[in-house]
Amino acid sequence: MIRRIVFPSAMVLLGLLWGASPVRAEKRILTVGMGSADAGKLDPHLTATTPDKGLLNWMFNGLVRIKPGQVSPEFIEPDIAESWTSNPAATEWTFKIRPGVQCHHGYGEFTSEDAAYSLRRAATKATSSFSSDFASFANVEALDKLTLKITLKNPIPGFLGYLVNYHGGNMVCKKAAEEMQENFSRKPIGTGPFEFNEYQPQQFVKLRANKQYFRGPPQLDEIVYRYIPSDSSRDLAFQSGELDLIYGRQEEIWVDRISKLPGVKVSTMELAEMSTLYLNTQSKPLDDIRVRQAIAYAIDRQSIVAFKGQSTSRPAVSVVPSGYLGTDEHAPLYPYDVEKAKRLLSEAGYPNGITIKAVHTTLTSMQKVIEAVQAQLKKANINLDVELVEHATFHQKIREDLSQVVHYQAARFPVADVYLTQFFHSRSQVKTPTAVTNFTHCNLADGEIDAARIETDAAKQKALWKTAQEKLIREVCGVPIYEQLQVWAWKDSLDLGYELKGSLNLSPPIIEKTRFTK
Amino acid sequence: MAAFIIRRLGFAVVTLLAVLTLVFVLVRIVPGDPAQVILGDQASRDAILAMRVRLGLDRPLWAQYVEFLSGAVQGNWGASMVTGRPVIEEVLRVLPWTIELTCASLLLGAVIGVPLGVWAAVRRNRLTDYIARIASLLGLSFPPFVSAILLLFGFAILVPLFPVISATTGSISAWWQAIALPAINLGLITAAYITRVTRSAMLEVLSEDYVRTARAKGVPWHVVIWRHALRNALIPIITVFGLYLSILIGNSVLTEIVFNRPGLGKLIVGALNQRDYTMLQGMMVIYTLIVVLVNLATDLAYAFVDPRIKLQ
Repeated sequence: MIRRIVFPSAMVLLGLLWGASPVRAEKRILTVGMGSADAGKLDPHLTATTPDKGLLNWMFNGLVRIKPGQVSPEFIEPDIAESWTSNPAATEWTFKIRPGVQCHHGYGEFTSEDAAYSLRRAATKATSSFSSDFASFANVEALDKLTLKITLKNPIPGFLGYLVNYHGGNMVCKKAAEEMQENFSRKPIGTGPFEFNEYQPQQFVKLRANKQYFRGPPQLDEIVYRYIPSDSSRDLAFQSGELDLIYGRQEEIWVDRISKLPGVKVSTMELAEMSTLYLNTQSKPLDDIRVRQAIAYAIDRQSIVAFKGQSTSRPAVSVVPSGYLGTDEHAPLYPYDVEKAKRLLSEAGYPNGITIKAVHTTLTSMQKVIEAVQAQLKKANINLDVELVEHATFHQKIREDLSQVVHYQAARFPVADVYLTQFFHSRSQVKTPTAVTNFTHCNLADGEIDAARIETDAAKQKALWKTAQEKLIREVCGVPIYEQLQVWAWKDSLDLGYELKGSLNLSPPIIEKTRFTK
Repeated sequence: MAAFIIRRLGFAVVTLLAVLTLVFVLVRIVPGDPAQVILGDQASRDAILAMRVRLGLDRPLWAQYVEFLSGAVQGNWGASMVTGRPVIEEVLRVLPWTIELTCASLLLGAVIGVPLGVWAAVRRNRLTDYIARIASLLGLSFPPFVSAILLLFGFAILVPLFPVISATTGSISAWWQAIALPAINLGLITAAYITRVTRSAMLEVLSEDYVRTARAKGVPWHVVIWRHALRNALIPIITVFGLYLSILIGNSVLTEIVFNRPGLGKLIVGALNQRDYTMLQGMMVIYTLIVVLVNLATDLAYAFVDPRIKLQ
């Protein structure tokens, strides 16, 4: 009798327990390992660092967005704005804001007032790192609750690119930003699929699902964004199962090793950061074009890529990274020819070679490259005297024009105009009030860069950018070396919800569809 | 005793003022601009200048110094230039992690180092002495970040007893799991140092007349060693304790990084890399206070273990 009752009851209980067991429940917390010691300023209009941009990307929307997993502006689609129109001259743009978009933490519905405030904030020097991107904005106004009008001083080709959820295009909620002022970075309020929940110094930021997200509630409940600066520890934590998604080391050997782990996916994705040697064309002996050409001939891009690894890097194709709108993918870069480099130096009056100075960062990945470049230049009797300094010092010294050769690695919004303007336009020349990162003192492509910016005919615009690139290459303002892809690894049970080819913010977008399959 | 403490605290105020002034000047001499670090490499010079104004870095140095000192006196160390969070809040959030790790590793170092040092001294020039000396030499020469990686690989991957991310909180078992490997990593290094110091101090004491007399009077050997000799050898050991306590707080940065633990060391390095002036200044106040208080405690401990020492 007892056996008849106890045994079936036990089986039923066991069955219930098994059904309710957490082992079988779908995992809903994503733990990410980022290669950084701590969070920076978590304000999307201020931060430009990879660790912060990635995190903020999951919290904020733009008026428009680039389809998740893509980087090209050709994939722009509606985000907070559901539609838009412009006048024939493309100087007045009207956006219809999607109704019912909710700001995080109960800050109310996102309206055109919020959008206008956000763009004005992004255009203000005191509150934005990206104010110069909005120099052509004449006026931003809310026509009604859900209608926003942007008036431009001149037409901007690729204008929508300024409104994606990237840098100044991120939409913040007015009430929260005004209320919190300086403290906004301590509790950033956006409209994205995940909202800020908790920060523990040097440990993590926790985001939780925004259940009111306008594309539907996220399938993940929480994201734990852990700051783990040691590559080895991050790898080990990933291997032990404590992390689901990690920022990888940009080295082929790392990709090979991690790819072999069971149940792991590794992605080398866009945007690539291009490594370039910028030559100060006003300093001796670099003011002689033959010396600059000698440097260009002495650099063997293929060898550097072989050194860095074929799966994580590729040779540069122009002074603008490949894949950007307007990049001349077949630009006339100087081929590797050491003998020609030596001949050019002799012609320039330096038969015994030259010594040039470079202030360089101690960041390991970049230091390895400059050492390889140094060895290559040596073969052409060019002695590159490298002064190694810590990273913040490097940034200050190169901006004070203290380095004849600047080795810089950067990715930008993938439109040729941005790269050309920041690195080669005279307005961006270091030590001027409008300085950004023109270390070359080149200004010979200013005309084409400016003309392309207001050219509305796409073909003519591309032709202008092509001419600008040819001029800059011919005059050897910079010597492009290689492009470094972003490397991420994740458990194959994590379904990102889209196909990952790249990300503007350099980390995989975590969207409402991202989920664990087991 | 009270007069001694008051006088030492008075000196501490002077030391603190000197350190603060030095730090204030030094961080501003070092190249690197916090505004540039905050805004990133795409910011224009105009934007950087605007940020400098916002951070108050455009004002004369003396005005910044006066504001900093008056704030420090009132306990207001300002907000981090990079994160915008109050310095005191950031420091106090990580301080317990550092104290916990330092105490655990010192305790482990003492528990292993003192008996091992005594044992090595008692068995001088015998096999056990050689083993203890070689082990302590290895412990001193082994880079802490290498031993940390080896510990993680061994006990978090091969034999998964502990987590790689040693910053979990909650239950006692979670705490124990989080502290064990970092404490072992630092504790073994501390033990190596304490072993050597204890051994040499004990060797000196064991050759004293009173030890011989005690043995001649028939006092048991273990009493001679542990009650008479060790107590007299404690002064250099306490000195090493004090020194190590101060050093560990700042030098545990590599262990904190590899084991992913928050801590003062990581905070200092981060602030230095980001040229976070206010954070660095706040950190220096804390660090100087710790060093001063540890030194004071060490002096008081001398008088406690050796009544012949008078605090004057």
